[in-house]
Amino acid sequence: MANETKNRKGILVTPELCIGCRACQVACKSWNQLPGVKTTNTGTYQNPPDLASTAFNLIRYNEVPSQENPVRWLFVSRRCMHCEEAGCMTICPSGAIYRTAEGAVAVDRDKCIGCKLCVNACPFDVPRYDAQNKMTKCHQCSDRTSNAMLPACVKTCPTGALKYGDRGEMIKTAKQDGFKTIYGEQDLSGTGTVYAFKDEPKLYGMKENPTIPGSVVFWHTYLKPLSFIGLGGVVAAAAIHYLAIGPHKEKEEV
Amino acid sequence: MAEMVRKSSVDEILNHWILAGSCILLMITGFAFLFHMESVASVFGGFNAMKDVHNWGGVVFALSMLYSMRHYLKDAFEYDADDAQWFKVAGGYLSHKVTVPPMGKYNPGQKLYYLAVVGAGIAIALSGFAIWFMKDNGAIMLLAHLVHNVAFCIFVLAVPVHAYLGTLANPGTLKLMVSGTLPLEEAKRRYPKWMKAAGKM
Repeated sequence: MANETKNRKGILVTPELCIGCRACQVACKSWNQLPGVKTTNTGTYQNPPDLASTAFNLIRYNEVPSQENPVRWLFVSRRCMHCEEAGCMTICPSGAIYRTAEGAVAVDRDKCIGCKLCVNACPFDVPRYDAQNKMTKCHQCSDRTSNAMLPACVKTCPTGALKYGDRGEMIKTAKQDGFKTIYGEQDLSGTGTVYAFKDEPKLYGMKENPTIPGSVVFWHTYLKPLSFIGLGGVVAAAAIHYLAIGPHKEKEEV
Repeated sequence: MAEMVRKSSVDEILNHWILAGSCILLMITGFAFLFHMESVASVFGGFNAMKDVHNWGGVVFALSMLYSMRHYLKDAFEYDADDAQWFKVAGGYLSHKVTVPPMGKYNPGQKLYYLAVVGAGIAIALSGFAIWFMKDNGAIMLLAHLVHNVAFCIFVLAVPVHAYLGTLANPGTLKLMVSGTLPLEEAKRRYPKWMKAAGKM
């Protein structure tokens, strides 16, 4: 659908380095001026429980069975994936969702009409609606990156679990450092948030084979062009008919 | 003055133009949403305002479409041997030399067109209301989005054909859809079976 964005920037998440401090969550709220929301303890440190209009990123706390220990505690940052082939951007009817010069997927609040189609076209269940019925999500701090600053979450991360930079180079370096699996390298033509794993991504609760819903792909690939070419086609056919055959003539009858 | 025959009642004509007007408004705004046409959206005051125009225009269209059933639905389901022959000569539109069989009040092309409008109209209205009011049901939203766009393609292909055949291709028909009446002699020539049924010939 889309061409690879040139000099694309991205965020590389290395869950192995994450200590679950959640400074990234705080920094995100601080920069984007998002209020804290009171939540209920459900027996996990994961808080808030999921992405929200007030939480553009969060650390997921995965508890997995382990041979050596009672449990393995795996932390992984969840946020918008900034897909190259972005379902939300494809389906948005008002052009409110756009790609920044750095390659991130961002939203123009004023243009959002609150239709919620993006929610259903996203393979990762990321878009959230706020009280004003506008779509919100991680925009990779496009207001910072366009001014040569790091995204707030990356800036604050104390361990290097979050890195921001040239997407291709970061992937190359991660592979050289022995991370076998780069989640998001190929999916959706390459995501802007990529994850470096030594274990199976599934272990960290990453979605396997994420895809844009088939109906959205069909609509974009066939129905959209059909409506446009079809309209031109019938108008042209009518014009040709008028010129070549001509309008109905009353026959001279008795 | 020649004796006139009324083919369309006043409420039918009014409703036809409400249906046509709302349909064209919806197609223009629909295209603007489909291809992010900023300039078209600006006419309505931006995409937010255009969404309201599109939604409420859809309500007008749906009501008008339902009301039109009392005028056309019964006729649209009745076909006879002359109708079959009409298709064989393509309604006389591809050649002026063929003999077109005698027609009733509507030709089968018009009747099928009406059924397409009703079928696609119900589909596009229901899916439109689903997109409008059932935003929190993902499966329904995706299905409605697909149905809405398939039906949109049907309208985009069918409506211009109807508009052409009802104006340029058949001189006099547009006047008929404005006044609702035509001279008896012309009615006998164009709609002989309807006139026979009405006892006028």
